[in-house]
Amino acid sequence: MKVAKPALLRSVFALALGAGISLAGAAAQAGGTLVVGMTAGDLPITTGNPDQGFEGYRFVGYNLYDSLALWDLSKSAADKASEIKPGLAAEWHVDEGNDKRWIFKLRTGVKWHDGCDFTAADVVWNFTHSKDPQAPEFDPGQLAQATVYLANAVHASKIDEHTVAFDTTVPDSLFPYELSYWLLISPCRAKEVKYNCTEYALRPSGTGPYRFDSAAPHQRMELVPNKDYWDKARVPKQDRLVLVPMPEASTRTAALLAGQVNWIEAPSPDAIDRLKSAGMQIVTNPYPHNWTYQLNFVNGPFTDKRVRQAANYALSRADMKELLNGLMLEGNSTLPPSTPYYGHPKIYEYDPSKAKQLLTAARCLPCKVTFAISTSGSGQMQPLPMNELVKSQMDAAGFEVKLEPMDWNALIAVAREGVDKHPQYNAINVSRQTQDPFNALIRHVWTPQWAPKGANWGHYSNPEMDKLITAIFAEFDTQKRLKLLTQLNESMNEEAVMIFVAHDVNPRALSPKVHGFVQAQSWFQDLTPVSVEP
Amino acid sequence: MIRYVLRRILYAIPIAFGVSVVCFSLVYIAPGDPLQTVMPPDATAETIAIVKHAYGFDKPLPVQFLIWLGRVVTGDFGMSIATRRPVFLEVSEALANTALLAMFAVPLAFFTGYVMGAVAGSFAGRWVDRVVTGAAVVGVSLPNYWLGIVLVIVFAVEYMLLPATGMGPNGSTAFNLLQWSNVQFLILPVVTLAMIPIGILARTTRAAVAEVRNQDFVQTLRAKGLSEWAVTRHVLKNAMPQVLAVMGLQFGYLLGGSILVETVFTWPGSGFLLSKAIINRDVPVLQGTILALSLVFVATNFVVDLLQSLIDPRIRRA
Amino acid sequence: MTDYSSVIPAKARIQGDRAPAAAPCSSQGQALDPRFRGGDDVKERHTKPVYDEQALPATRVRGYWQSVFYRLQHDPVTLFFAAIVVLIVLAAVCAPLIAPFDPYKESIVGRLKPFGWRGHPLGTDELGRDMLSRLIYGGRVSLLMGVVPVLVASLIGGMLGVVGGFLGGRANTAIMRTMDVFYAFPSVLLAVAIAGAMGGGMTNGMLALTLVFVPPMCRVAETGTTQIRALGFIEAARASGARTTTIIRYHVLGNVLGPVFIYASSLVSVSILLASGLSFLGLGVRPPVPDWGLMLSTLRQSIYVVPFVCALPGFAIFITSICCNLVSDGLRAAMDVRM
Repeated sequence: MKVAKPALLRSVFALALGAGISLAGAAAQAGGTLVVGMTAGDLPITTGNPDQGFEGYRFVGYNLYDSLALWDLSKSAADKASEIKPGLAAEWHVDEGNDKRWIFKLRTGVKWHDGCDFTAADVVWNFTHSKDPQAPEFDPGQLAQATVYLANAVHASKIDEHTVAFDTTVPDSLFPYELSYWLLISPCRAKEVKYNCTEYALRPSGTGPYRFDSAAPHQRMELVPNKDYWDKARVPKQDRLVLVPMPEASTRTAALLAGQVNWIEAPSPDAIDRLKSAGMQIVTNPYPHNWTYQLNFVNGPFTDKRVRQAANYALSRADMKELLNGLMLEGNSTLPPSTPYYGHPKIYEYDPSKAKQLLTAARCLPCKVTFAISTSGSGQMQPLPMNELVKSQMDAAGFEVKLEPMDWNALIAVAREGVDKHPQYNAINVSRQTQDPFNALIRHVWTPQWAPKGANWGHYSNPEMDKLITAIFAEFDTQKRLKLLTQLNESMNEEAVMIFVAHDVNPRALSPKVHGFVQAQSWFQDLTPVSVEP
Repeated sequence: MIRYVLRRILYAIPIAFGVSVVCFSLVYIAPGDPLQTVMPPDATAETIAIVKHAYGFDKPLPVQFLIWLGRVVTGDFGMSIATRRPVFLEVSEALANTALLAMFAVPLAFFTGYVMGAVAGSFAGRWVDRVVTGAAVVGVSLPNYWLGIVLVIVFAVEYMLLPATGMGPNGSTAFNLLQWSNVQFLILPVVTLAMIPIGILARTTRAAVAEVRNQDFVQTLRAKGLSEWAVTRHVLKNAMPQVLAVMGLQFGYLLGGSILVETVFTWPGSGFLLSKAIINRDVPVLQGTILALSLVFVATNFVVDLLQSLIDPRIRRA
Repeated sequence: MTDYSSVIPAKARIQGDRAPAAAPCSSQGQALDPRFRGGDDVKERHTKPVYDEQALPATRVRGYWQSVFYRLQHDPVTLFFAAIVVLIVLAAVCAPLIAPFDPYKESIVGRLKPFGWRGHPLGTDELGRDMLSRLIYGGRVSLLMGVVPVLVASLIGGMLGVVGGFLGGRANTAIMRTMDVFYAFPSVLLAVAIAGAMGGGMTNGMLALTLVFVPPMCRVAETGTTQIRALGFIEAARASGARTTTIIRYHVLGNVLGPVFIYASSLVSVSILLASGLSFLGLGVRPPVPDWGLMLSTLRQSIYVVPFVCALPGFAIFITSICCNLVSDGLRAAMDVRM
């Protein structure tokens, strides 16, 4: 459109003013400054496990800190889902005599940003910091963020300088996955600031590849490379990482086009063409994400399996893909197809007449349902247009859908409180991460996970599935467990436990000056290999 | 005079108290849990109870109000749930950023509006008057956030002359008024924010000028033999107090009502802080921001009233 | 003996109003004319005309409202913009009849198309819905959210102001101080805070706007009522035995109605702007209901595809607002009320 004009006009303007106009504010140095426009509404907190959803982990959590098990983010090939690898723990195994005890052997020679050594005592300290309300180091904010990942852990004990043991409530073969989200902070620094969380937030200290440099509250956070990082391959290649919260998609697009940032998360699908014509790199990759509706299994039409299957038959996922300019994977199951335990689930192809048939058989025509949806949110993609499309497609197949929008935090509260507190909703539209087996499958259908105890919002209960899940937890052989997980996914599809719609493809737009980024199939990304040319 | 000032101050105190009651209770009209933002979606009821107690949200409402009021009076507005920083700090920083915008927008609006209004008032009834008045009405009727979006598209995206968003290349803490690289971030938000005040000031000036021109002393001046230009100068001088009063009120209004423009430009001011606090249901910040903004507005009105009565004792109101 | 309240001109007017033109020979004119007041020779003066009545044609006396209409008729600018407002309102009311397409019908294929594409005169929005139809239907919501809060606020605020001004003393102080508390908030802030606190939605938005407008309406009504009290009309009427309702009807309402009406008409455009601002922030109506502010917000993402289509809702708000403003200005000039 207007490619020649800006250059001409810019030189004229610059001449007229007689002064240089610095547009991006980016320093022209060796590795460059990476300026990221995040979808988060605010800067993630730096006191340990971050807020602002997984974006907080992606840009702040895993940059300042490490966990015992880290996610391998080095491969982006379509058949390579991200898996966990040794992080601050070099090795782990379950205790031979007691399958409720896990032994973690820690990595040696690791130092915190403040110079103290990383030892087993630090791990135990972090455990009390997150879980024990009586301890002086207890941080209620961290309780909220970290507890969900430590739900199954009852006790942490130091075996020697570099070995820690965790006791779990039940045999849990998936325990290392849970610990992979638990970030460790430096007790040295915490003691230095006398356990004052506000003080600590200004001077955080972890073991991660980046150090904290400065932050202008609500506006930008600057991180610099940690030259002494224990994984030499992951010392950051850029000189500086700047994070800017920009919750509005159009603001992010404008900022990238104007040169104020050189990396934006989740550009609006409609802006993609414009970004491409301006020379931006658009990168996408499937990742463990599920845009779906969790259903009410206590009252309402969805208690009947035929109605659930009808809802799935009613959707044309190809149309949804077109709505998003191709930026999604059609969702036919809880998991994206690249997941190792996807298997061969029952696919509900677009068939509105079959949907109508099922509804007639279930004697629910027109079938009145109410969906609780959000107006925005991390992982929610474009909730309003997508929900309106779903509504029109389901209405055409014999349903009568009522949408009830609310803001993201309100919807999270509905999701957390469970169907008992909100019986008027027949479904909630909350996108979920499916990065590890527990979060992908188990928490949605397991009876002990009934909300508000867990993520099983609609109180789904199936004794067969419960048995399968107990077997999964008790199965410490990875191959055998894989078979059981596949079985679980297939039976979840058979039962149509959700309305399957889409999987996001994690789009981001990068300036042509940004090099070296490898997009992993994960909610987290490795920014360390990235460099920015001047 | 002193008695008048004291009376006004005494009168302002119950207003301030009423304002604080409204601010505090606003948040509790809201459906939903004030702690939602801190908790990840999977937190259990137990966890919530522990955190609630730690933040003091489990006490009865009137008790919470009195505790809050007591703290507020000593300057402690509490801690933001989202960022764990003192609310007082958050609000004062944000207010300073908005004040920066207002400080540029109001003089711009004053000069532009005053000139427009003076021209329109001096040629009252003629085509100049109609054109200028029309322009003023346009300013007042424009949805200013829409104008902001259009300006961003034209100046930032299409022609890349000015930045699209934010406050300075290094954020507000490093904002330097003496460098063009920082100042260029001010231009679009200030212009957008000034639209409505220009319209209001132009109309006020026009009305004031037209009114003053009709007064007897103007005829006297002409009879004295003064040139039309000299007469106009006298008229403008006399019209100034009314316009200044409105300008002062506009300053207060801009400080409190900048939320839409700040949302479009992601300017880290009080309006932006407020919209974030609403979205995050960050209760202490919500209460603190609304309270601070309305108290500033009350204070601005108070100062404007005082100044007006100083300049023109006839205006003194009970 | 006639009730003096009917002899005294029906509405005691305050600022800048002209008394109805009275021909010197009409009996009403004589009653008003100070030269004819009192004196023993009144009767003689009545019976002996000063000049020949036949020679002068009887001049029509224009009532107050007739003057207003007269001035309006000869103000083409105001009439023109009033006509536009009427058109907009009509379009909104007759939306089902004139909208070319169903404003809720989506089409994934026809998303974000420019003007004139396949019979859509103003293009389509981000879900393929016809823009023109959505603008027309959107007018309903936007006008509703613009007019209803002002109406309700005028009623409530007007009533409170009249009661306060009429009663005076402590009751008046109590009412006005309460209003002052809400006056302490800049209107945008108050509207956003209330709407935000209550969680958004159309009714909450209208409620918030009503609460924002009640204090100024109350103040206008109270000022008018107090001024009438100060002029002594009310006391005089009471002294002559008029009932409270009559007093209010004749003296107070007549004078208060003018300023209240003018102020309310000027508030309509403010209300439309505020309501669209609330919707823009996500605190107004919920999708998929068409509303100009909401459309502006949802189309913001698509400004890179069809910029002019995305600017349309802003135009609609602007045009409606400016027309209401100009009509309000014209009314103010015609009713000759200075605020």
